[in-house]
Amino acid sequence: MFELALHAVRGIRHRQLRSWLTMLGIFVGIAAVVALISLSEGLKVSIQEQFEKIGGDKIFIQPKGTFGGFESDAAQLTVSDKDELARVSGVDETTTYVLEVGLLSSEDENLPVYISGVPDNAKERALVIEIGTWEIEQGKWFEKGNHDKIVIGNDFFRTEILDKKVNVGDIVDVNGQKFTVSGVLKRIGDPSTDGGIFMDEDALRSLLGLTAEETNFIGVRVEKGADMAVVQERLKKELRKLHNVEKGQEDFEVQSPEDLLAVFNSIFGIIQVVLVGIAAISLLVGAVGIMNTMYTSVLERTNEIGVMKAVGARNGDILTLFIIESGVLGFVGGIIGILLGSGMSKLVEIVAGQVFGSPLIRAVFPLSLIVGALIFATLIGILSGVLPAYQAARLQPVEALRYE
Amino acid sequence: MMQFYARFAVRTFTHSKLRTWLTMLGIFIGIAAIVSLISLGQGLKTAIGAQFSALGTDRIIVQAKSLNFGPPGQGTVATLTEKDMEEIERVAGVGEVAARLLKTAKAEFNDRTQFTFIGSIPETQEGRRLIADMFRLRTDKGRLLTSGDRKKVVVGSNYADKDIFGKPVDVGARLILNGESFEVVGVMAKLGQPQIDGSILMPEDAMRELYGLDDEVSAIVVQSQKGVEPSVVSERILKKLRTFRDVKEGREDFTVQTSGELLATLGTILDIVTAVLAGIAGISLIVGGIGIMNTMYTSVLERTNDIGLMKAVGAQNKDILMLFLMESGLLGLVGGAIGIVIGVLLGKGVEIIATFALGTALVQASFPWYLIIGALVFSFVVGSLAGTLPAIQASHLSPVDALRRA
Repeated sequence: MFELALHAVRGIRHRQLRSWLTMLGIFVGIAAVVALISLSEGLKVSIQEQFEKIGGDKIFIQPKGTFGGFESDAAQLTVSDKDELARVSGVDETTTYVLEVGLLSSEDENLPVYISGVPDNAKERALVIEIGTWEIEQGKWFEKGNHDKIVIGNDFFRTEILDKKVNVGDIVDVNGQKFTVSGVLKRIGDPSTDGGIFMDEDALRSLLGLTAEETNFIGVRVEKGADMAVVQERLKKELRKLHNVEKGQEDFEVQSPEDLLAVFNSIFGIIQVVLVGIAAISLLVGAVGIMNTMYTSVLERTNEIGVMKAVGARNGDILTLFIIESGVLGFVGGIIGILLGSGMSKLVEIVAGQVFGSPLIRAVFPLSLIVGALIFATLIGILSGVLPAYQAARLQPVEALRYE
Repeated sequence: MMQFYARFAVRTFTHSKLRTWLTMLGIFIGIAAIVSLISLGQGLKTAIGAQFSALGTDRIIVQAKSLNFGPPGQGTVATLTEKDMEEIERVAGVGEVAARLLKTAKAEFNDRTQFTFIGSIPETQEGRRLIADMFRLRTDKGRLLTSGDRKKVVVGSNYADKDIFGKPVDVGARLILNGESFEVVGVMAKLGQPQIDGSILMPEDAMRELYGLDDEVSAIVVQSQKGVEPSVVSERILKKLRTFRDVKEGREDFTVQTSGELLATLGTILDIVTAVLAGIAGISLIVGGIGIMNTMYTSVLERTNDIGLMKAVGAQNKDILMLFLMESGLLGLVGGAIGIVIGVLLGKGVEIIATFALGTALVQASFPWYLIIGALVFSFVVGSLAGTLPAIQASHLSPVDALRRA
């Protein structure tokens, strides 16, 4: 076996140029596939981490018929819903979350932005901030009940979306009213947070003329040790009673971060499969290249095969010899391809991080990707070598020796 | 001379048939992938363009500035009102003007509840015609809304399916919308646009009553007069509304877009998506090109003797160069031609499957001449480029060495 492998390697080295070109075909394909998978996996991991920050003990409730996060004309949640739900067993606390759109203005810019309301109540405030994963980068949150201060998303601080960058202490105009910036949030890569502004909930209600009852979402923190699924069911039951609707006719949705993540993953999974699938076409072409090289190799070594058979090599030996040769082509091509692909996706990560400052784009290389790509490349090599090797094995020794 | 090169090249192909086929296989897989992807991308663009041209590029849509790409009137900052409409009507070059209201509603039927979009149909004859033309509204059953309709609605084609409420909504059925009962007078024909196929149309006055709306509108649709450039009218509307709403230039809280501009934006997005996909598929062409290069090196090696002989009887370096370039170019060209045929079949296949399975008329494969010619030229170029290095090597062989090589 070892001898056969040695022989195969010698065969590859003998025809260096051709072997390199053949492997080039494989490693271009593997590099493309590895780079695409590592970047998309990286994006997935980033998003997952965002969700993990929210914590596994939270539940969101939103009205059905909500499109793009905006209030529905048909169904609404209320502050009293929130108070009632707080009494459901297994629920630690609940909070309102008011999300509206306002107009942020500067000298000659008028920008629609998301405005999030931050409740006065200390516990509710903490819960909303946790659910939103809002962390202060500069300055601080405004004090409770302060209606003149706001916190801004990172985009306004980092880039010149408005006429100039906005800093802590600056005064901005929201829907015609002046607010002082008390803090800037860390960047999380979600446009509604990075490009949003945050103010006291009551200030938001009076600014936009909202009633004291309406809320866009309700956030729930589940008690320690309580079963999420059970609490979710209880919340649904209670809300059905409050909204006076039958089971199956709910005008609201109760979701955990896991549910939301699952939806994201299923959509993203489809995109990933399409992209990787298209990139994998090049692997198919690379496999055809290996097959071609192997046929040529068999042809060139017809004489050699004859000699080997004459001195006692069996069909199986010849078959193994050529399959090892093509397998090695795939394997080495795979290694180089993985290196190249990893380098490419790292480069994309660095460029995206430096130039666009995007925190979400990064390259990850799980062991399964590396090992999987290597096995896959070797398998491609072996598979595309099977037909040529079979042809070589079946050569008649006499005719093979006579072949010129 | 050219003919001689070609004949020589073809002879080598028939000599090593298997290798030639495998080499071309590499090219035509790549070309087929690119051709089918681009044809579907172009087809989608053409289909959308056709829908737009039916609505005409002389339409102008005025909306309140909003954050998302959702339906008009959702997530807006400042609403538009009928007063804005009156202002627009006074702008020179403006023809018909109609208001659109768009809201979500809770719909009940057959003891099931669903949430859906409701769109308004204007009360005036001209307004109704403008909206009907614009969205190409027509009914499969029953009729569209007319003047004097009060508690009547027309439902989108999706409601004819039993999926939504467990049984189809037919003409004469009664729908409960936000708690009030409406009679269905028509079911629309399928338009292939999810927003309209899945929505419900209601007379404007009935809708204002249902939602308690005063003079708010979600969007204003304007038809510019014949012979006036829509972009000029659009610019005038922008100016007029700026003055009326008292906002400075660049600080508008509304947008004015012509249907032509909307189409252009959509086309650009589609082009980018197609380019990314075709680019990824293009990697396989690089691999195919490497395959050609490999085959050509082998071919040069095998024919070292031939080359020596040719040089001995007077062939110049450039003759040998041309010979091999021709050969690799032909490999690319033939591979490309087969690839185009397969790509066309693939694209058509996807179109047929999508039309039957999804019932959408938007997935269409289109094969403009420049796609076919471009793919052919491209595959020829890939072949020739891949053959350049081997051909140079062949042409530089010294005749004596080449002849001496066993």
